[in-house]
Amino acid sequence: MKTSRYFLIALCMQALSAEAQIGQPYIHDPSTLAECDGKYYTFGTGGGGLISDDGWAWHGGAERPGGGAAPDVLKIGDRYLIIYGATGGGLGGGHNGRILTMWNRSLDPRSPDFHFTQPVEVCASDGLEDQDAIDPGLLLDPTTGRLWASYGTYFGSIRLIELDPTTGERVRGNVEKDIAIDCEATDLIYRDGWYYLLGTHGTCCDGVNSTYNIVVGRSRSVEGPYLDNVGRDMLHGGGRMVIAAGGRMCGPGHFGRTVIDEGVEVMSCHFEADFDRSGRSVLGIRPLLWRNGWPVAGERFRGGTFEIASERRGYALELAVDFVRIQQERERFWNMDLSKPLKAIPDQSLEEVIGAWPKGEIAVRCGDYMFRPHQLWTLTPLDERGGYLSNPYFKIVIAGTDRALAATADLELTTTPSFTGADEQLWRVEQLTDGTFRLMPKRIPGQQEPNTRYVLYSAADSTPTLAEYDFSSDNSKWTFRDK
Amino acid sequence: MKPKFFALGLMLGLCAGIHAQNPIIRDQFAADPTARVFNNRVYVYPSHDIPAPEGQRQDWFCMADYHVFSSDNLTDWTDHGVIVAQEQVPWGKVDGYSMWAPDCVEKDGRYYFYFPDAPRAGRGFAIGVAIGEAPTGPFRLEAEPIRGVAGIDPCVLIDDDGAAYLYWSGMGIRGARLKDNMTELADELQTVATPQGGTVQVGGRQMEGLPEGFKEGPFAFKRDGWYYLTFPWVRHENGTETLAYAMARSPLGPWDFKGIIMAEHANRCWTNHHSIVQFKGQWYIFYHHNDYSPQMDKRRSARIERIGFNTDGTIQEVKPTHRGVGITAATSRIEVDRYSALSQGASLAFVDSLQPFRGWFVSLPGKGAWVSYTDVDVSCLGADAYVVARLRANANTRLSIREASVKGKIMAEVPVTVESQQGAFRRDQRGQWLTLALPLSAVPKGCITLVVTCEGEAVDIDWLQFKNKPLYFMPVDAKAAAAKPDERGFIRRWKLMEPLPQDIRSNTVFTDSWLRGKFAQAQQLPTSGKRKWHTLESGDYNVRLFHFAEKWGKQAYGNLFCGTTVIESAEDIEGVRLAAGSNGASIWWLNEEEVLLLAGDRRMVEDDGVSPRLTLRKGRNTLRFALVNGPGLSDFCVRFVDERGNPVTDYSIPSIK
Repeated sequence: MKTSRYFLIALCMQALSAEAQIGQPYIHDPSTLAECDGKYYTFGTGGGGLISDDGWAWHGGAERPGGGAAPDVLKIGDRYLIIYGATGGGLGGGHNGRILTMWNRSLDPRSPDFHFTQPVEVCASDGLEDQDAIDPGLLLDPTTGRLWASYGTYFGSIRLIELDPTTGERVRGNVEKDIAIDCEATDLIYRDGWYYLLGTHGTCCDGVNSTYNIVVGRSRSVEGPYLDNVGRDMLHGGGRMVIAAGGRMCGPGHFGRTVIDEGVEVMSCHFEADFDRSGRSVLGIRPLLWRNGWPVAGERFRGGTFEIASERRGYALELAVDFVRIQQERERFWNMDLSKPLKAIPDQSLEEVIGAWPKGEIAVRCGDYMFRPHQLWTLTPLDERGGYLSNPYFKIVIAGTDRALAATADLELTTTPSFTGADEQLWRVEQLTDGTFRLMPKRIPGQQEPNTRYVLYSAADSTPTLAEYDFSSDNSKWTFRDK
Repeated sequence: MKPKFFALGLMLGLCAGIHAQNPIIRDQFAADPTARVFNNRVYVYPSHDIPAPEGQRQDWFCMADYHVFSSDNLTDWTDHGVIVAQEQVPWGKVDGYSMWAPDCVEKDGRYYFYFPDAPRAGRGFAIGVAIGEAPTGPFRLEAEPIRGVAGIDPCVLIDDDGAAYLYWSGMGIRGARLKDNMTELADELQTVATPQGGTVQVGGRQMEGLPEGFKEGPFAFKRDGWYYLTFPWVRHENGTETLAYAMARSPLGPWDFKGIIMAEHANRCWTNHHSIVQFKGQWYIFYHHNDYSPQMDKRRSARIERIGFNTDGTIQEVKPTHRGVGITAATSRIEVDRYSALSQGASLAFVDSLQPFRGWFVSLPGKGAWVSYTDVDVSCLGADAYVVARLRANANTRLSIREASVKGKIMAEVPVTVESQQGAFRRDQRGQWLTLALPLSAVPKGCITLVVTCEGEAVDIDWLQFKNKPLYFMPVDAKAAAAKPDERGFIRRWKLMEPLPQDIRSNTVFTDSWLRGKFAQAQQLPTSGKRKWHTLESGDYNVRLFHFAEKWGKQAYGNLFCGTTVIESAEDIEGVRLAAGSNGASIWWLNEEEVLLLAGDRRMVEDDGVSPRLTLRKGRNTLRFALVNGPGLSDFCVRFVDERGNPVTDYSIPSIK
């Protein structure tokens, strides 16, 4: 029993590390992730916020004056615009909310440029109307350059206002517009001719019983109406689910979208309770997928043993070793004896074939998938080696062995007899917006900078290589398929 | 007393919308306002002061273009944008920055825009014409300025016989008749020797009968057979400009000087420049002051006051005010810093001294200080109206908003609490601008003078605004005609019981079994008897029980609500479903049978849950609900839908007894 208990513990550990960002990612109502001088920042309710060097390990230390609730941050030009509710949404008194904006040239409290401008009020709720001016979210419309903010809570409506992107102040004469009800912590995004309003539904602030979840409606106009997938207006409570509880975390809320690269997007949120961390509220980052024009949170990629199939041809990534035939007692299909009992043919085992494999480096190629040992890869997350926004780095080995997939200096691939932990053996695995994945070595041997360009790539149907990532080409894309 | 009644009648007549405050253009400078009425709309053609660009004299007038503004109520001004810019003027210097006071008149359906500019050749100013088909242009610029006119400040008067006269300022005030083409002087020009040894051709003649002293900016108009020539005038040595006038029986004089229309600006703003126009029966004077540029009087802003005439045609002197003209709707922002009167010690300051166009606030230094603001139309306020005030204080204090006078009836008392230790939330909002809302204790009628009195420590006031609550419910008479569901099928007519208070802190207690127990009691409640019921029509598709509780309940949050309505159908309607959404949990009975339970912590989502397929019986069907909620804005929406989810609307909702 001892081994199995240890095994269970190991499983839990793995679950814990693979479920959420590591470190001390404790936050409520995180702002959309912002990048400043190579670091990531997010600000939450209260005063502070989180900082991360790599997007995976987070710690406190970000600073935002003004207190209040639920800020958002947006980089405009070379400055950051911070918008926040100065009040508490009925917690500190009534629903007399105020939303303010301020600028900073840096988000790093240690930077000499770190200095917040005097906050400017951009909207308020009067305390007697069905509206509470907190929880703002920003959108700089890429088609017009106009700056919008949505705000509000369950207490009445969600409203839209326009701000001046040069000053952060309210556009003169702009009148608030109601665009939704029954949600809070909204955010607006634009993609491909559609405006999306994301709102948080359900109940917050009840620990492991919080039912918070994120829903979305979309519109051709930033001013709405925002309709869900069955045509129901968010002004009537409509909304399509983007993310709900799962993976031992519940209560996702306060959506933010971060575009990493073309076709590589993540959404940030908090989970009201992480069941593996005392039910604390934690930062969550998930791949953001787009299906038929709707955003959906992807699952966190946890690793495991898979076929790695090319999106180009559907061939499987494999070691370039001899194909070993499985011996079989054959029956002619036109002359089968139907009275004979059926029997299972075992999978080809690693032991049957590994002895014939070369002992040194072995090249890789792609071929017909036959669920053979040289085609099965185990991906294991490596917490201690850092990470990126959605995950830690992975090692990729032939299942049951320590033979690791590695990048070479000449932008090709090989497998080394054992995993050494070298950067060229660490893989960044990111789910793309269409659900496929890109695999990127952390470093190309001989190159100084960490690699952010070269990915596992189909140079031909049978020939994998490393080449520049191109979302528009299936050569850049791979899928993980269960054995 | 007659004139007073007349004025009052006028004001009431204008009650609908006019609430101009001074200055009238609040996002840019607008000097030398020439107001004209075309087609029952007021157009203002000001000159457009701007901060001087580099290379230009920083302490001098600087104007590069003209905008035109218009309004049909003297309140809401539309900026129609640039109509003429200096680089477009064929004969003008592209960097002259000399687009001084203009005018625009209409003749035979065409609009003639007159403006001064610095000519490319020569010195001084010339006056050009641009012609358009509409008051807002586009204007086509004449190739040359008007020959024989060297000067600034053109003004054109078109007499009753159609003859047009041009007045301008150039070594005194000159006047001349215009040809029918409106672009040339009618009389021959005189050739005059210049001090430089050359000659120039000069048209028109000096206006006679005007007083000594610097004069400019003529504005001529005709009223009751009198011609008026009005003009800025420096009456004292080293003085600044007044507005003065003369009268005559013919358009070019001789003039009989009558005196002052407006005295010098108290802050020594050197210029003033004006126009006088009749709009909807009332005469107004448009003039300017350096409101938004107190340190530099070359950046000015347009203002309006009412102006009156004596029976002999003479003009009553006008005092400049912040308040300006017209009636202010109570539901608009009332900038009390545009006051009518202010107590001793009270003062004004910019909200942001670096951004003057953000406006001003009033500082009341302590108890007894006050500010008053006349002509606020409160007739639009309902019984549930409230006031919103933007305030700032350094210590807890109080204000009273009163009607009529400093000791007048209190409409609202406004506690300004900037420091408190409320529960776990310490509040320190000293020195911050706050927006507070307070219900009104009294709602007066008609047009009133608003007085804000300070009842404690010092307080700053940016603005006040009255608001009406939305119409959440309308009472339904027992004899009312049958109603229909609304366009989308929602049932708005309900008989609602005054809510039963519940001690509920969290909505997670709303489990199915808990609810069935709670709702079983609710089903037994009689719809008549001791507990009071109200038959109401919801103002919206969703029935906002939260506001029902605010008005008729003991508490706004934590309530059990019950209601009933009647569905009267001409025939059996089969295969329909009851579709409901509620905040929080609710139960629905059709003809006393449970058809839908929405359990848990619910939000009001349209068609959140539906019943099994039902039959609405021919005749009367009773629909009842009970709804329970802890925190949250209690409401529900309910309708019947068909197999495809489309609303069912072919039934009626009779008056419910």
